[in-house]
Amino acid sequence: MVLMDYMRAKAILDKYAIHSVPSKYVSSSEDAAAFAGKDNIALKLLSEKELHKSKAGLVKLNLSGEKQIRAAYAELKRKGKSIRQYKIIAQKMAEPGVEAIIGGNTDPQFGKVLLLGLGGIYVEAFKDTQLRLCPITKSDALAMIGGLRSKDILTSNGKSTDMLVSLLMKVSKLLMSNPGIKELDLNPVILRSGSYDAVDLRVLV
Amino acid sequence: MTKVNLTPMLKPKSVAIVGASRNPEKVGNVILKNYIDGGYSGRLYPVNPNADSVIGIKAYKSVRDIPEAVDVAVIAVPAPIVPMVLEECGKAKARSVVVVSGGFAEVGETELQDRITKIARKYRMPMMGPNCLGVMDTRSRTDTLFLPTYKITKPQVGFVSFISQSGAVGSTVLDVIAGEGFGLSKFISYGNAADLDEVDLLQYLMDDEETKVIVMYIEGIKRGKEFVELARKITKKKPVIVLKAGRTSAGSSAAHSHTAALAGDYAVQEAIFRQFGFTVANDLSELIYFSKIFASETEPRGNRIAVITNGGGAGVLTADAIASSKYLKLAELSAKTSHVLRGKMPKLVNIRIPLDLAGDADEKRYEDAITAVSDDPNTDMIAIIVLYQTPGADSTVSAAIVHLKEVVDKPIVVMSTGVGYTQAQKVQLESGGVPVYDSPASLVSSLEALLGYTEYLKTNK
Repeated sequence: MVLMDYMRAKAILDKYAIHSVPSKYVSSSEDAAAFAGKDNIALKLLSEKELHKSKAGLVKLNLSGEKQIRAAYAELKRKGKSIRQYKIIAQKMAEPGVEAIIGGNTDPQFGKVLLLGLGGIYVEAFKDTQLRLCPITKSDALAMIGGLRSKDILTSNGKSTDMLVSLLMKVSKLLMSNPGIKELDLNPVILRSGSYDAVDLRVLV
Repeated sequence: MTKVNLTPMLKPKSVAIVGASRNPEKVGNVILKNYIDGGYSGRLYPVNPNADSVIGIKAYKSVRDIPEAVDVAVIAVPAPIVPMVLEECGKAKARSVVVVSGGFAEVGETELQDRITKIARKYRMPMMGPNCLGVMDTRSRTDTLFLPTYKITKPQVGFVSFISQSGAVGSTVLDVIAGEGFGLSKFISYGNAADLDEVDLLQYLMDDEETKVIVMYIEGIKRGKEFVELARKITKKKPVIVLKAGRTSAGSSAAHSHTAALAGDYAVQEAIFRQFGFTVANDLSELIYFSKIFASETEPRGNRIAVITNGGGAGVLTADAIASSKYLKLAELSAKTSHVLRGKMPKLVNIRIPLDLAGDADEKRYEDAITAVSDDPNTDMIAIIVLYQTPGADSTVSAAIVHLKEVVDKPIVVMSTGVGYTQAQKVQLESGGVPVYDSPASLVSSLEALLGYTEYLKTNK
């Protein structure tokens, strides 16, 4: 299995109307600053080898202004020396919210499965996740949310539940229509009442 | 998906037992003896090349010498000669075979297993096993289980069917079920599943009128896609309780993503069970607890539990367990019910849930309380605690509860802790279709299981 290029993976999400934060590969700190404009951005070092970017210090969040961007870019460059192949990506910061993980996997016997859980750094600590075989129905999506211990954290009202149900069904559709996608991680997806952003994504083909 | 007809195997008019030894220690002899002792009324044909008769029944040198084509041939001979015996069964037009012999894939002899599977399929003989206990049907009294009758109590006739990949787990559960008041319809231990596997068995039991609840112990699913196709249909017809082994097997270490690491084999299978409305039991005890609540065939309309007790402490413990459950809550009595109860109960009885009838409660007090509480539109399920150690509680209370179970349109369960006298009451209650639990925790998990299945049916029409 190989990791699909980030921007290509993002383009697939776009096709299924799954929102992810605006992103661009950058080759210099000036490039990154231009992309940022007046917004705060994150810089991330992307490589096939590093699954745990935040643990390895390969993610620089909430950078504001040229000075911070320049320093962060230089640090990532330095860390990148030991990793032969990598790219640096600049991303607009998402509005704050709750972090969820939504993912897909291919079971050798049963086919595509969809996962929902409390995301970000909590994924491995709490392992509060729900799985379903794809394609899922609306009642499956509701049962996934309802089955989480963290359901009240992830969805605060009917509107946010509806949004998450629709998002889960879109991801299920994406997985079913793209048999070549073996694994998918949207982690974290930032959930807010009525809106969301996939902040990081990994697609394995 | 082709449906395999298991009726010849489960309801045979004629049975050949190949390897029916004269030695009472041998498996073939035990099987024959169990058929005789169990009161099987069809025709029995022991096959033994070295004997004229076994346990007083005329024996045949080969299956091909038997004067009719048998419905089932039970094969208990050493693994290396199973292929030859199967060829003979095929030529003699046996309708099905049960290979109890071990010595196949479970010890690495996969080629030998493939060979016998090919022979069985060539002659279109559905084959159970190898390396299995085989089948038991409490109505036809067929029993290929080579367990000495003095070591295992046979369950009474009922409507729960149990399939097990493991023979050892299967026989343990069988013995435990015999101690419970609900009965058994069929027991199938399918071993290595070389030919018939869980999909074939579930498909048969789905349409079997003698089966109202299916219970399964499974280690791995062989045909994923067919299993899912069947799973979608089966739970809409009857409840399926599953105990799945393999919980601790590590997830794929080669996983590239968080999702893959969190979606190991066990997690996926458990998710599929839940997605399609199976009731997942965490251990053998839950398997039995859930079996009895489903066997009682009642459907809750909601999650409000009314607790009636003759012991204050036990009532509080049960109310606590219900209140801390994710899905259940304590019922609150309507003003009308409270009024009715106030007129019937002695002064010392506080009219609220848990309804404590006090230590001197007799059958009349229980009857009045259960009737009023179950008439209340604010209650969905009735949990009755009977501590038989108290002076007022005896078999007349049990009889009253069994009677009310027939007339009340809501699930009724009993929580009763104790040995000796209490055990005898438990059998009386369960024979009357009232499930009995010995702890608040087992009562709560069983009510949750029943409610979960009902909710599944509502949302997945």
